[in-house]
Amino acid sequence: MADHKITRRTLLTGTAAAGALSLTGFPARAEVNWKKYAGTKLEVILAKGPRGDNLQKYVKEFTDLTGIQVESEQIPEQQQRQKCVIELTSGRPSFDVVHLSYHVQKRQFEKAGWLADLTPYMKDPTLTAPDLVESDFSAAGLQYCKNDKGQMLSLPWSVDYFILYYNKELFQKKGVAVPKTFDEMVAAAEKLTDPKEGTFGFVGRGLRNANMTLWTNFFLNYGGEFLDAKGNILTDGPEAIAATKLYQTLLTKSAPPGVAGFNWMESMASFTQGKSAMWIDGVGWAPPLEDPAASRVVGKVGYTVVPAGPKGQYSATYGDGIGVAAASKNKEAAYLLCQWVVSKTQGARLLQAGGGVPFRNSILNDAEVQKGVKMPREWLQSVIDSAKISKLGLPVIIPVAEFRDLVGAGITATLAGSDPATELKKAHDQFRPILERSEKA
Amino acid sequence: MTQSAPAAAPIGAAPEKQLRPPSYWPFVVPALVVVLAIIIFPWVFTIWMSMNEWKVGSPTTFVGFSNYLRLTSDPRFAEAVGHTLVYTVLSVLLPLVFGTFAAVVFHQKFAGRGFLRGVFIMPMMATPVAIALVWTMMFHPQLGVLNYLLSLVGIPAQLWVFHPATVIPSLVLVETWQWTPLVMLIVLGGLAAIPTEPYESAQIDGASLWQVFRYITLPLIMPFLFIAGMIRMIDAVKSFDIIFAITQGGPGSASETINLYLYSVAFVYYDLGYGSAIAVVFFLLIVALAAVMLYARQRMLWTEIASGA
Amino acid sequence: MTAKQIISRIGLWFAVFVIVSPAILFFLWMASLSLKFEVDNAAYPPVFIPEHFAWKNYADVLASNRFLTYFINSLVVTGSATALALLVGVPAGYGIARMAAHKSAIVILIARITPGLSYLIPLFLLFQWLGLLGTLVPQIIIHLVVTVPIVIWIMIGYFETTPMELEEAALIDGATRWQVFRHVALPIARPGIAVAFILAVIFSWNNFVFGIVLAGRETRTLPVAVYNMISFDQLSWGPLAAAALIVTFPVLLLTVMAQRQIVAGLTAGAVKGG
Repeated sequence: MADHKITRRTLLTGTAAAGALSLTGFPARAEVNWKKYAGTKLEVILAKGPRGDNLQKYVKEFTDLTGIQVESEQIPEQQQRQKCVIELTSGRPSFDVVHLSYHVQKRQFEKAGWLADLTPYMKDPTLTAPDLVESDFSAAGLQYCKNDKGQMLSLPWSVDYFILYYNKELFQKKGVAVPKTFDEMVAAAEKLTDPKEGTFGFVGRGLRNANMTLWTNFFLNYGGEFLDAKGNILTDGPEAIAATKLYQTLLTKSAPPGVAGFNWMESMASFTQGKSAMWIDGVGWAPPLEDPAASRVVGKVGYTVVPAGPKGQYSATYGDGIGVAAASKNKEAAYLLCQWVVSKTQGARLLQAGGGVPFRNSILNDAEVQKGVKMPREWLQSVIDSAKISKLGLPVIIPVAEFRDLVGAGITATLAGSDPATELKKAHDQFRPILERSEKA
Repeated sequence: MTQSAPAAAPIGAAPEKQLRPPSYWPFVVPALVVVLAIIIFPWVFTIWMSMNEWKVGSPTTFVGFSNYLRLTSDPRFAEAVGHTLVYTVLSVLLPLVFGTFAAVVFHQKFAGRGFLRGVFIMPMMATPVAIALVWTMMFHPQLGVLNYLLSLVGIPAQLWVFHPATVIPSLVLVETWQWTPLVMLIVLGGLAAIPTEPYESAQIDGASLWQVFRYITLPLIMPFLFIAGMIRMIDAVKSFDIIFAITQGGPGSASETINLYLYSVAFVYYDLGYGSAIAVVFFLLIVALAAVMLYARQRMLWTEIASGA
Repeated sequence: MTAKQIISRIGLWFAVFVIVSPAILFFLWMASLSLKFEVDNAAYPPVFIPEHFAWKNYADVLASNRFLTYFINSLVVTGSATALALLVGVPAGYGIARMAAHKSAIVILIARITPGLSYLIPLFLLFQWLGLLGTLVPQIIIHLVVTVPIVIWIMIGYFETTPMELEEAALIDGATRWQVFRHVALPIARPGIAVAFILAVIFSWNNFVFGIVLAGRETRTLPVAVYNMISFDQLSWGPLAAAALIVTFPVLLLTVMAQRQIVAGLTAGAVKGG
């Protein structure tokens, strides 16, 4: 199925993408000996999505360049995370290269020592192309890929900002302006809600766990910080309560019925059907929204940054990286693949297809690359603007899954009418011992 | 390893040809080996893990019963037990009622009965993950076909699996749809064994359909209903595929049963020690229930024999 | 035919209709979903019969994702697990029934009621240690957890109902117990074996929890493959429903074809054992 989607996207975005792009990812310098590991066979485990698609589609070029064979597979996110952990624990993973979600797995992978240190490779001119330098990665990327000792344990691949998608047609019909602040957003959402016509002002993730990625946008803009200096979790303070109230208001008064069970998939369905006027979610959904086979709102979608809160304006940021398993026997070859994955060529392709945003500034700010973007200009602008106000969207701790489950469940409960402060307190009473246990161990 | 064992059976059995208490053990040995390897060993290991702090990616340490102690003060576990009980009771009773009705109908003779019976049991045979995905689409509050069907008869749209108050009944609906056929088959077997004389005399006495069912059929199929109830209970308690694929325990944690929580702890949080403790307690719970039912079954069997059935 | 008979006939057919329609409507709707393009599938009010059939959904599923490999994997896992289960389970059922060994039946019951999840981690570590991961062997073995109890359970029930007289006569005539089993008990139990076979096949085929952890790229079974098809970047009900239908189709076919055996077996004695 991944295959047919690529086909579809390619059809949609036209064949220009490849042509417009000069294959300048690796300048021909004598220093890097690409063919040194020719004949090696690498196994790659990927989370399903546009990033994985982008790798698989062009990996033949990597093989042509290096003579390294690559076997890869995409598995849905949840199973991929699970499978990686189980195999890495076993000490004999079936893969050399691993695609990881920083916002969920960073600390866990670091603490367990599952990833090979890439720092020496980065410094080795026979292994690393001169254009790949640490300073090219954005701050969030470096924050994600380095451990506290400053070692690079992976290469930052694709960043995911949360942005506001809105339906221009519905906005026009009701004469509503694009909101710049939370207050305006609430007012707009109410105005845009018309249950008789089956249209709603706002849609977003209500599902436990998934909803945390939306909620933290609110939390950050109310001035929230996840952890204090001692590593205590702070997501039940006044900022969190305010964020939860906003979340509750939007999702109970202006959202489609059943939103408590919506993940991005259901939210997107509602939005692509023209049933919801606003949607806050990851930046990577533009391709399906602009795909006539999947969407009824093609050409009517507006893209902008998440509205400002009383204490600031941030874009909650998540990200993927690509790293080498410490247990791999082909670390150098695997590193070459990682390098190719985050290369300018591959990064540009990812951005231009709307499938993700490279962490490398040299790609994002390249006018030529920008020109080749197949998504609406507004989308690209929202990406660039979000990059400026980017802030990590989840606490960097080991038990991220428990955090998302417990606090997420409390937040979902407020959609059925529970009190935000009570639910947050309950969730944190359960979460604190878990956090303490995990950081102590 | 197991292939040669049945062949070896006659050697062990040959010497004693008299009808003394015969040893049938050789027949059982291969299965026993398999059961030891794939069922007993995992259990022993699980119990060992449950006594350790065993988190993936960290070294393990022996902690005795502290994982079990942690269970007693875990509100999420307590909630999960509640959800499991509600889910189980509903998922036993509804299929019993509908299954009995269906069995009575299928006990009649009509054209195409075999084929329709085959169609009727399709839900229980279909791949659970596959049908769960389709049910998820049908439950969709805005685009789902179920709300459309309701709207045709003037019932307002429901939230189905998307509201804490309706999620368990909605899941039970799927479970009932899926497993009513099993109850039907079991009860049908019971009906086939019922002698015809009582019905003939009832007809002469002019009893109503309901009276016939209530006073003749029901008592006679009671043992079968009981067995169906037991099987249903075991399956419903550990129901996983349907809940996992449709709600993953949500919204919030409104449909999180013990099995779902166990999954989260072991395979999402990678807390294998605590997960093992949950598995052990969960297992003891089911064993307790099953033991009660097995005891009841023995009694049923005796009643059956005593009554000459 | 009297008026009363006609009425009761109509009532019967109405009852039949009510009983069977949930199953029929569900599978028709599943087929409908699988044959629609995504725009139709997400439309409200729902489109029942689309203007254009999306046969492409099926073509896509079959063409991509190495469907054939996964199909063969499923076949191998289910086939081996069922064959092994019959090999050890039928004699065991016989032995337990003849010994009236209800205690050992409890072990089977325990196996039957243990949640599948709790086997997963210990067995995974074991397979890891044995170096079996990456092959189909771990899945075949763990599927025995499903098939062996089914077979033993059904066979106990079946052998309990088969008459003892013939066997006793054969024993008096000097037959060994193995001969009695092979030539007297087994032929009589053939319908029961058929039922055990069919049910073991179905439940093994349908299992997906084990595969999630144990299956790699080369060793994935169909249900896992379907679950992995849940699309990442769009709502794709059509291909998903098509894949779901393809996976469950062999089972449905088996059900309708072998419904006589299933019903006969379950009603005639298998269930008495349960």
